[in-house]
Amino acid sequence: MLNFFHNSYIFFLIEKLINFINSIFFILLLIALSFALVFSPPDYLQGESVRIMYVHVPAAWISLASFSCIAILSILNFIFKIKNLKLITKSIAPIGLMFTCIAIVTGSIWGRPTWGTFWAWDARITSMVIMALFYLVLIVIYKFFDEDDKANKISSIIAVIGLINIPIIKYSVEWWSTLHQPASIKITGTSTIHSSMLTPLMLMFFVLILYCALIFLMKYKTEIIRIKKKNLKRYDQ
Amino acid sequence: MISNLITMNGYGIFVWSSFVITFLVCGLVYYKTRKTLKKYEKEFAKEIEELTTQQRKTVLRNSKIASEILASYNKTI
Repeated sequence: MLNFFHNSYIFFLIEKLINFINSIFFILLLIALSFALVFSPPDYLQGESVRIMYVHVPAAWISLASFSCIAILSILNFIFKIKNLKLITKSIAPIGLMFTCIAIVTGSIWGRPTWGTFWAWDARITSMVIMALFYLVLIVIYKFFDEDDKANKISSIIAVIGLINIPIIKYSVEWWSTLHQPASIKITGTSTIHSSMLTPLMLMFFVLILYCALIFLMKYKTEIIRIKKKNLKRYDQ
Repeated sequence: MISNLITMNGYGIFVWSSFVITFLVCGLVYYKTRKTLKKYEKEFAKEIEELTTQQRKTVLRNSKIASEILASYNKTI
């Protein structure tokens, strides 16, 4: 069982997973795009502009999930000092930042035909921008702090402070009067979205999750090689 | 039908720009991540090759990852 957590085992698993995802990714992407751009119906109120939802919503979900993941792993790393957890959080942060930016930009584009403006300091948009800043700070810390312990402590504190922002993003549409509509998809409770729109949404979400996994695995592999490279210097001395 | 798909009743510019931006960014990040990974693999393989025969043997015996990277690097050149 312990063998499962060993770096060399993880390395071989990563290689296999990357190959597997690469082999199915483009087929799934084509299917998801066909549903999102062709087969799904226009909205009765928003018309064709509703299709932006198929990239905006999954991007926002992924950005929230990534930050929650980073915060939880940072806390665990702070308590148990497991080196692999740091590698995982370091690999997730750029993916989270990328999807937060995608969610903000596509949301802004969607805002123009729907609200009549590209930008408004709405509670949800503002809290998303704050999350992007938290991601940015985390990435800067990982990049510029050489001392591992110090970087771990600071990044854990930043991640925990940033975690407070997650429920604010989620419930901002209920707590304040905002331009955003309340959630149509609920994990507990009945969703108010029709299956003809839910299917492409879930397909796009699945494809983007696969993409995240691919980037994460490549970044994680790079981190393992970086450590091995550092260890190799011992033989030179 | 194709014209409808492009114009999307006047919303085409918004819909297509959202999709293009998303997949362009995803593509660029994929390219950069892959390039960095390959660069590290190459540098690592080169550093192993620069070791003395004895040191190289020790490294390859102790690290399965090192031998795997070296093997995949040799396959690509």
